[in-house]
Order: sequence, then C-alpha cells, then structure tokens
Amino acid sequence: MVRPVTVFCGKGGVGKTALSLAFALRQAGEGHRVLVITSHPLPELALSVSLAGLRESNPVAAANLFVIHVDPKEVLGGLVRQSAGSSLLADTVLSSRVYRSLIEVLPGVKEIAFVSRVRDLAVQGAGPEAPQGFDRIVWDAPATGHFLRTLEVARGFDSYLSGPLALLGKSVAGFLSHPSSLTLIPVTTLEEMAVDEAIELCEKLMAELKMRPVALVCNMASPLLGTSDEEWERLRENFLAEVTGAPNASMILERHAIERTLFARLRLAGGIPTHIVRRKPGGTSDVGLLLELAAEMGGLPGARVS
Amino acid sequence: MKIRIFVGTGGVGKTSVTAASAVAAAIDGRKTLVLTIDPALRLRTALGMTDSPREQRVEHESISSRGELWAVLLDVASTMDRLVRTDVSEPEAKAITAHPIYRLMLTSLAGMNELVAVERIHQAIADGFENVFVDTAPSRHAFEFLDKPEFFVQLVSFPLVKLVGRTFGLWKRGLAGIDAGSSKLYGTVENLVGAALAGQVLEFFAMFQPVAEGYARRARNTIRTLSDPKIAGFTIVSSPGRARQDGQYFFDELTRRKFPVEMLIINRLWPAMDLKQSPRVSPATRDLIGWYESVCASQGASRDRAVADWAGKGQRVIDLPELARDVDGIDALVRIAENLQKSNNAASSSRNPQ
Repeated sequence: MVRPVTVFCGKGGVGKTALSLAFALRQAGEGHRVLVITSHPLPELALSVSLAGLRESNPVAAANLFVIHVDPKEVLGGLVRQSAGSSLLADTVLSSRVYRSLIEVLPGVKEIAFVSRVRDLAVQGAGPEAPQGFDRIVWDAPATGHFLRTLEVARGFDSYLSGPLALLGKSVAGFLSHPSSLTLIPVTTLEEMAVDEAIELCEKLMAELKMRPVALVCNMASPLLGTSDEEWERLRENFLAEVTGAPNASMILERHAIERTLFARLRLAGGIPTHIVRRKPGGTSDVGLLLELAAEMGGLPGARVS
Repeated sequence: MKIRIFVGTGGVGKTSVTAASAVAAAIDGRKTLVLTIDPALRLRTALGMTDSPREQRVEHESISSRGELWAVLLDVASTMDRLVRTDVSEPEAKAITAHPIYRLMLTSLAGMNELVAVERIHQAIADGFENVFVDTAPSRHAFEFLDKPEFFVQLVSFPLVKLVGRTFGLWKRGLAGIDAGSSKLYGTVENLVGAALAGQVLEFFAMFQPVAEGYARRARNTIRTLSDPKIAGFTIVSSPGRARQDGQYFFDELTRRKFPVEMLIINRLWPAMDLKQSPRVSPATRDLIGWYESVCASQGASRDRAVADWAGKGQRVIDLPELARDVDGIDALVRIAENLQKSNNAASSSRNPQ
C-alpha cells in the first residue's frame, strides 16, 4: 500500500506551512496517523509556527502527528554509504571536497534525492523519524518555482547514464507519473500576484506535468467572500451611508471589490474547485490559530467530513 | 557609496519595499541601481518594466535630473559571461563557455543565482553606482548569496582543482602515479553518477580553475565590503504578525555573520480603522467592520510586541501601511517611497492613535 501524499503548494507567504499543519492536525485529531514533511529546517519552522501546547489542548492530535524535515544531503549521504561498501571509504568520500562540490554542481541531484525520500516514506509508511508508522503524508512544498523544478527533475535524470542516481531518477519518475501518488492543493491569497502565480502553477501542472490539482485554496479571505453577489451589492450600496471614516471606509470597499474580481478569475482557471479559508484575526497561540484553520478545511479532498 | 540589502520571508512585500527605497534615492538625485536576485522576478511587475531586457533604465517625472534609476533582474548567463572574460583569454573563455557542463551549470544548477549575485554586486560597484539596492530571495535562501561564495572560495582556493586536473587525467588514462586514495575516490564518484558525467564535470573543473579563483578573490572582497557598516546596511522586511519572530531570526543570523543590521520594516500594517457606524447599521456591515477591527487590533498588538523587543537593539523600526491594491508600477512605488520618508521621520514613535 502506498500512503496518500497531500501537497500544499503555491507562492511564498500564502500560508502553505500553516495550512499543511492545520490539515494534518485535523486528520490527526480524527485518529489518523499523519506525517508532515516540510522543506523548512525544523528550527526555522518552529520560528514561524509553534506547536507548543498541543499536547495539553489536543492530546489525540499530538499523539498522531509527526513533523519532519527532509534534507537531500543526508539522503545522498545514505546513498554513498550504500554504494561505497566500506564505511571508511564512505567517510572519505563524504568528507572530500570533490564530493561536496559535485552535489552542488550536478543538476537536479538534490531534487531527485528529496522526492525519492518522499516516495520511500509513502511506500514504507514508517521511517527513522517516525518509527511508530503513519498512514498518510502531508507535504508542505517549497515555493512555486522550486516546487516545479522538483517535479520536473524526473525529466532531466537521463543526463545520468548509469549508476545509482540514474536508477533513483527512473524510480522517482515512475512515482511522479502515477496519477494517484500526489494529491495537489495549490494555495493562494486573493492578491493579484499570488493569484497570477497560482493560475500559472495550475496550468503548468496540468499541461506540462499531466497532474491535475484537486482543489485550489483561497487563504486569508475576508468573511465577505462567501456572500452572494446580491448581498455584496446591497452592502456596497449602503456601506458609505452607514459608516463614516474616510479613507479607510473606501479602502475596505475597494479591497473587497478586488478580492471578488480575483476570486472570479481563479474560478475560471482550469475549472479546479475552489475552497475558501477565512482569515483569522489571530492573537491567541499558534496552536489555537491552527485549530481554527483546521475547522475551515472540512470538505477538502483527503479530509474526512466530520 | 551605499549598498542596502533587503532580507525577509516570502510574501512580505520585500521586492516592492526595495524598489521603493531605490526610487526614493533616485528622487534624491543619486545614481541608483536596484538588483533583484530573487528568481521570482517580481521586480518586473513592481517597476512596470517592459518585457525583454533584464537591465533597463527606469524613467519617471519625480526622478530629479541628477538622479538615475537602473533596474536589474539578475541574469546568470550574462553575469557569468562577463565573469569568465575577466580572468582568462578569449580562446580559453570560448572553450569554457562552449563546454556542456557550463551550459548545464547556467540552466539547471540550483543556487547559481546565489553564487553569481555577489559578482553582480561587484560589477555594479565597478560601474560607479552611488546607491545599490539588493532584493534577496526569501528566508534562509537570503543568506545563500552570502554563504555559498565562501563555500565556493574554500573549494577552489585550495590547490584542489589543480590536483583534480592532474590526477584525474592520469587516472582516466589508467596511468600509474596516482595515490590509492584518489583512485578509490574517483571510482566511487564514477559509480555514483556514471563515468561519462563524472569525467565531464572533473574536466570542466580543471579548465574553470582560473575563473573560479578570480571569482573567489572578488567574492571575498565584496562580502568584506558588505560587512562594513560605513558602506553597507541590511534591512529586515516583515509583516506585522511575524515581525517579532522574523526580526529576531534575521537579526541573529546577520549579526552572527557580522553583517550590519540597519532597520526593521514592518510592512503592510493595516491602519487603525477609526470608523463610525450609524445607529441603523445592517448586521452584515457591522460584522465586516468588527472583523476588520479585530484583524487590525491583532496586528497592532503583534507590531507593538515586535517594537518592544527591538528597542534594545538600537536600530530603527519603520511601519509601512497596507495599500488597497498590489504594487503595480512606478507610481505606486513613488507613494511607498513617500510613506517610507514619513515613517522614517517618525521612526521611534508608537502607533498609539491617541
């Protein structure tokens, strides 16, 4: 059995990490054992989102949630140890400057290593980082450009004519070309550049990589986004009569007009179902915020509707 | 000369703030260059640049007659081309630039941007710009353009590449005179990546050595320049919600590397709304205003915590207000530049509306 891998991808700063953790928390709270793979080194992750206090507030989710960082250099190191035969030789290779420069210089090597680790975790359902095992994976992907390069790497592996990297490249290509391996969920905020990038990402995924995203998440939306056009028109007509305080009152209206236009543009792009996650004021703990976000993520593919 | 470098996590508006700061310098009448080393290329949108050239002069009525503004999207190929020709003769340069590994390096090597960024900064200094503004890639990639060259310098400063060039040639021809350690090493490397590719890479390394040494020498000098507070300064750009954590993280990382931190910019702070509702306000409007006020209050509180934390560091904190729409051209940048000026003047005052 290959464990399902849900991928949150998109522009930097749209909230991929928080949504990945929230989505995983939701499933872990329902008793699934969930592994989150992040491309941030863990100390950096802890800076932006802290899971402190989860054990107290939600012991079930805490017991079922594992967060790991995959470092491609370590994966490659493992490969060297396998192919070198003796650990003495492996140490010599790993510490040599020739080896260290080669991994930097050889194209796509780190990307191949990263995807191969994701594949192994999905196939094995356990790893040294989470020996207790897990039954699903959430991948907090790097920002759009690097994410696409990671997926495209399977196409470039043929520069490796022989050796373990060529084998690795072939198996990674097999994994990536299987339509059920990755469940892709692009994320965007309703800002022009983020929306353009999300649309471009979806188009590239579908046209060039033959991968169809299952949903498009609009993160940090205002509570107004879910209202009907009639309600919005009524609010817009009355707003400036009911509220005084220029220029902020008109700024609110302008922002919502833009938000709705961008949302309409997203819905036209590729016909991928959209899912709205409203912006939370925050202020409480990170875990509190993640649990609030998790509550907004019901109905996303892969999330069991409670 | 002044070099200002902007760092921050993704999505905080780093590119717009960098470009706006450059616009402000050009308005003040200085010969200014803004360089983005972020592969996302948002500078193009922010400055409303036309399609093709990656280096172009930006014109605007507010830029004084003495001032000049040049925008540069870092281009690995052209920077490398100039770099190669700095250190070797034309026939050697041709051999290098025609080598398949050189082509691979330009097109598919992740991290090339970071490696050549420091060379491009050196070129900007050599071209006589008075002010250079640098927009970096998000987050920890921000430090790669400072860290990678040093890694590279260590790699080539040692006679390693010469050694590889000599012993690799011997080994390839199956000649004696190579020590057992090197022989095993090459064998393992070949097994790992395949003989053809390993051969090409090592051959290229041997040829590339004088270029790499020239690069290494200049990279060291440029990075030394960037750590001189009289010439260089780093600005941390953050959002209100993350200003405290981001500020601390980037401050620590920069200080650890001995780079001078100049200021923290808290970008896209929603203004305190100060709205008055009529008594017969509809529930929908009331809810919306309530939501805005709670987001603003939460942002204000995070911002105040960040400012309090930052007080001990002796550097400025500057707030920039949220704009209704995306920054999409030089007019918007001129507005941000004015806001920067305003906030700069009121730098240390608190955001309290009273």
